[in-house]
Amino acid sequence: MEKPFVFNFLGLSFDLAGIIGSTLMAAVILLVCIWLSRKIEMKPNKKQNIIEYILDFTDNIVKDNVGDKDAQKHLSLYAFVLFLFIWSMNQLGMFLEVKVGDTMLVKSPTADPVTTMSFAMMTLLLSFTFGIQKFGIGGYWRNYAEPVSFLFPINMIEEITNFLTLSLRLYGNIYAGEVLLTLIGNNLAPSLGIPTMILAAPLAMIWQGFSVFIGSIQAYVFVTLSMVYIGKKVTKE
Amino acid sequence: MTFQTLFAASAGHLYVGNTLWYLIVFIILLILVKHYAWGPVSDMMEKRRQKVINDLDSAEDNRKKAEILANEREAALKNSKQEATQIISEAKTNAQKTSSQIVANANNEAASIHEKAKADAAQAKVDALNEARAQVADISVAIAEKVITKNLSADDQKDLVDQFVKGLNE
Repeated sequence: MEKPFVFNFLGLSFDLAGIIGSTLMAAVILLVCIWLSRKIEMKPNKKQNIIEYILDFTDNIVKDNVGDKDAQKHLSLYAFVLFLFIWSMNQLGMFLEVKVGDTMLVKSPTADPVTTMSFAMMTLLLSFTFGIQKFGIGGYWRNYAEPVSFLFPINMIEEITNFLTLSLRLYGNIYAGEVLLTLIGNNLAPSLGIPTMILAAPLAMIWQGFSVFIGSIQAYVFVTLSMVYIGKKVTKE
Repeated sequence: MTFQTLFAASAGHLYVGNTLWYLIVFIILLILVKHYAWGPVSDMMEKRRQKVINDLDSAEDNRKKAEILANEREAALKNSKQEATQIISEAKTNAQKTSSQIVANANNEAASIHEKAKADAAQAKVDALNEARAQVADISVAIAEKVITKNLSADDQKDLVDQFVKGLNE
């Protein structure tokens, strides 16, 4: 098992792989977005079509799950960036894993529970914010006692389970994908020399393709569930 | 305990710093993407939506206008058809009137010509008769002269004179 490169800074511990991966992907997304939207026209060109298609896709996720019109406008941007960010972080480990010695430098940041929990936390905090903005603090707390008051503790527990399922689902999928890819590449391929290498190449390819698919699905699921949780907070049950 | 197994991948370290870093990177990414891509693109999409709505509205208006225009044209066509039939019927009656007038005029003229011819013929007859009468008188006088110069007895002369005198008296 490879070791993460952890360093301390200002009393906080940082994992280098996650920082490199996320920063890299953020830069890539920013550049791609700027490149795609360099010339915005009323009659869309090809590049504009691509970004509009993605935006439409995430907008539809938002509109399907959040009924509140005011929240929709803000969440459109959140869903768009979140989807691109998580999607690209999911794909990063598929084609780029940099290991120096025994320490991991570049891999999918989402193959790490801390990353997925961070994003799940963001979603949760956003949902609290939208809920409080919509109903006020009193109304927000009262919503936990809906539809009947004895459901209050269950609704409270639901917040925690929401947070855990949202983050661990993404983490589990991407981590399993990376583990299997590493197993194929590091353990299966060199086990019996040339024959297993030849056997491992198509296997790795198939699994990579599947992982790309899983990464996309999981990004979609993550954004959709984020919107479901936020949508639940801004609508009265 | 469960968290220990959960963080097996991170080998016991719980790096809270990463969470902070992700938050910062994500917020910066949000702001930059909003400024460079999301803002302009969604603005343009909204503008296009408005334009499509406007275009649809104006298309509807134009369709209505065209319908009204077509109705007007149809009405005008109907009117002009009526007008045409009216003009034709007027022309027909006018032509009939003119033709009957012409026939009547011709009839009148023919009648007058006939009358004139009749009168001329009568006049010619009268003239011829008069001329013939004068000539007969001249011829008879000439014959008479000849007869008289040949053998006119005294008795015959006496009778003739008597007859002439009688004729004068009458």
